[in-house]
Amino acid sequence: MAKVWIPALLRPLCDDHPHMEVAATTLKELFLALDEQCPGIYDRIVENGRVRPELAIAINGEAESFPLFEPISPNADIAIVPAIGGGA
Amino acid sequence: MTIADRSYKVIGTRPVRPDGVEKVTGKAQYGADINLPGLIYGRVLRSPHAHAKIVSIDTSEADKMPGVLATATYEDFPLASDKVEEIGESVVNLRELSDNILASAKALYRGHAVAAVAATSTHLAEEALKKIKVTYEVLPPVLDVKDAMRPDAPLLNEHRKTKSMAGEGSDKPSNIASHVRFQAGDVEKGLAESDFVLEREFNTKMVHQGYIEPHNATASWNVDGTVTIWTSTQGTFSVRNQLAEILHMPVAKIRVIPMEIGGGFGGKLPIYLDPVAAVLSRKSGHPVKVTMNRTEVFEGSGPTSGTNIKLQLGVKDGKIHAVKGTLAYEAGAFPGSPVGAGCMTMLGPYNVPNAQLDGYDVVVNKPKTAAYRAPGAPAAAFAIEQLIDEAAKKLGTDPLQFRLNSSAEEGTHQVSGAVFPRIGARETTQAAFDSPHYKSPIEGANRGRGVASGFWFNAGLQSSVVISANTDGSVNLIEGNTDIGGSRASLAMQLAETLGLSYEDIHPTVVDTDSIGHNDVTGGSRITFASGQAVYEAGMDLRNQVVDRAAMLLDATADQLEYVDGGVQSKTDPAKKMTFKEIVSQSGRTGGPLIAKGTSAGRGVGGAFGTHIVDVEVDPETGKVEILRYTAVQDVGTAIHPSYVEGQIQGAAVQGIGWALNEEYFYDDTGRLVNSSYLDYRMPTTLDVPNIDTILVEVPNPGHPFGVRGVGEVPIVPPLAAIANAIAEATGHRFTELPMSPRRLVETLNNLG
Repeated sequence: MAKVWIPALLRPLCDDHPHMEVAATTLKELFLALDEQCPGIYDRIVENGRVRPELAIAINGEAESFPLFEPISPNADIAIVPAIGGGA
Repeated sequence: MTIADRSYKVIGTRPVRPDGVEKVTGKAQYGADINLPGLIYGRVLRSPHAHAKIVSIDTSEADKMPGVLATATYEDFPLASDKVEEIGESVVNLRELSDNILASAKALYRGHAVAAVAATSTHLAEEALKKIKVTYEVLPPVLDVKDAMRPDAPLLNEHRKTKSMAGEGSDKPSNIASHVRFQAGDVEKGLAESDFVLEREFNTKMVHQGYIEPHNATASWNVDGTVTIWTSTQGTFSVRNQLAEILHMPVAKIRVIPMEIGGGFGGKLPIYLDPVAAVLSRKSGHPVKVTMNRTEVFEGSGPTSGTNIKLQLGVKDGKIHAVKGTLAYEAGAFPGSPVGAGCMTMLGPYNVPNAQLDGYDVVVNKPKTAAYRAPGAPAAAFAIEQLIDEAAKKLGTDPLQFRLNSSAEEGTHQVSGAVFPRIGARETTQAAFDSPHYKSPIEGANRGRGVASGFWFNAGLQSSVVISANTDGSVNLIEGNTDIGGSRASLAMQLAETLGLSYEDIHPTVVDTDSIGHNDVTGGSRITFASGQAVYEAGMDLRNQVVDRAAMLLDATADQLEYVDGGVQSKTDPAKKMTFKEIVSQSGRTGGPLIAKGTSAGRGVGGAFGTHIVDVEVDPETGKVEILRYTAVQDVGTAIHPSYVEGQIQGAAVQGIGWALNEEYFYDDTGRLVNSSYLDYRMPTTLDVPNIDTILVEVPNPGHPFGVRGVGEVPIVPPLAAIANAIAEATGHRFTELPMSPRRLVETLNNLG
């Protein structure tokens, strides 16, 4: 099961749980499965078939603009974080 | 301190930079050096008001002037979509981007561009600006983040409501554009069970990156509807994409040619002049060059945020146990401050079991902020690292030992929930602890030593390169990233290492957007990392091709051969071999030119940590702070070119010293920036700082073939706090506002405030 860290402001959708356990093989599967436990969360994360541009997904600590078809390892550690701009 | 594989032949050496000769002989071409047949000159009219409705703009008198060939206002831009787009490594609202380039309904800061003129001379264009009649309805400005958050504050946008990850967050319009929250553990319980809790409020001012070269852009609109742009930018492809969106053009009709860049530090990620020059060129039929002067750079380009940070820090059993904070960052005239990054980096070096950080992105009547080296992180570190220093003193524990007690490491969850892979936080702090500087005594009156740590993520994003073997055994390396930090050298070195050739065999060139695949911006400390991945991939591809060619020449099959030390040899008969040069010199007989490509989506990013040590002496009469000694320690993964790495660290530390001690955007009550020149905006010079000593810690990044981590941003994170801690040690006063200028010190130390 992948462990998904729920952003603080979305925790009310998940009965205030800070993290959820989800079985999935891709990011899309993961968010759809998460939406079953946290109704409405999929639309807060995904827009127009991709992760919202203002968000990034951290998979095992690496935050990138991953596609929804990104494979997820069985024990992946997933966090949903704001996208970050860098300097130089 | 090195944990990296040191069997490299090229990596870790210090060759001469490929762009050095042209730069020191004055031959390097910067944006302002462009001169084209028929070139005319553009100037921009800017709002004298910090906040005003634009009732009308009348350019008719300017249009009638002899020598004036075009004018432009927002009406020359197609209506931009009110949507958020990924542009390079950041996201922008296209309508706001367009409105920042030429204002439409409102001028939102003094210096906001309102109209533009192109004429046969710069002076004529300047005169023509005076003929443009803009009718304003002046409104009260709001200039400070705390004032802007008040319910009765003047609104920059009467329709803007606070957004959050959960959707609209406010019923009423607000200057608070967005709210983010990060939560770990139970912060209230954590604070309640702490042995003691420290609490302070911190304020920092808006500061500029201070790049030497002002913004510039030259555009030539061609009769076939294509446009060519010469510009100083950190991302040619980003310029192309943003231009395409603003002008509603296909990207294939826009060619952006990168000029050498005289500094950026994040400030040359946004675009300001490129669309203006393009429109003026289209309307005039001439190529148009537009440049900013220094005042325009200060007033009209993007500095970094002023901030207000309130923090509580709880300590239990000698460790950081809980942190609760509110971070409010000025975004400038449009949303987009780096408050999210401030929240996510603030606790990066530490394992904090209980935390809650609320971040607010707040619009004010000042320029739209832009990235500045580790955007958002220095102000956050200024706050937390001072509380950590105070906590260590209260405990009677060495401040670095206190940091080591709570150090983040592989497996630590950050406040965002993201888990750290292999990092060098502990190794960096330990190296500082063991350094000759830290082991040496500091003696004398009014002297103090301070330390602070910092973290930055680093970015991946997209890169592409093409390499081609020349018949003399040299290799051309074609890349698309502006070189602002030595990337031509660092990429050439990685290619040389991959191919087993010498550095001098590699010839790197940065090309325009028509000549290479997409490359994201030079930012996020990403080029040596991500473009280095692309270079490695291209190099390995070329190696395989060379083995195939050698098989023909050596009467063998490819699987009987191997690539070793810049050549190919038989796996079973080492005498049967050819050098790289011997093989590629016969490419015409073995199948034609040898070309390879490499791409990277930037996977495997490794965050980086720094710890700085600074000794200061404070003159209690004048308030002057002298930096006596400074040592910057950083996990750099693998130092490809150590001199460049040291230079990045030294430069960032000096920028941090300026930010700490002198720099600030100083406004009067009407929103006029009163120090918009380098005479009045005090940046450090070589006379103000000692040599910055560096200690390179090398904990290789497992996500990169050579262990590279980003280098350029981390070292601006600790200096503000390290200097504040040193001043506190020297004076006994804790300074929670920046800059810690002579005036502030004198007033504080003598109770004159």
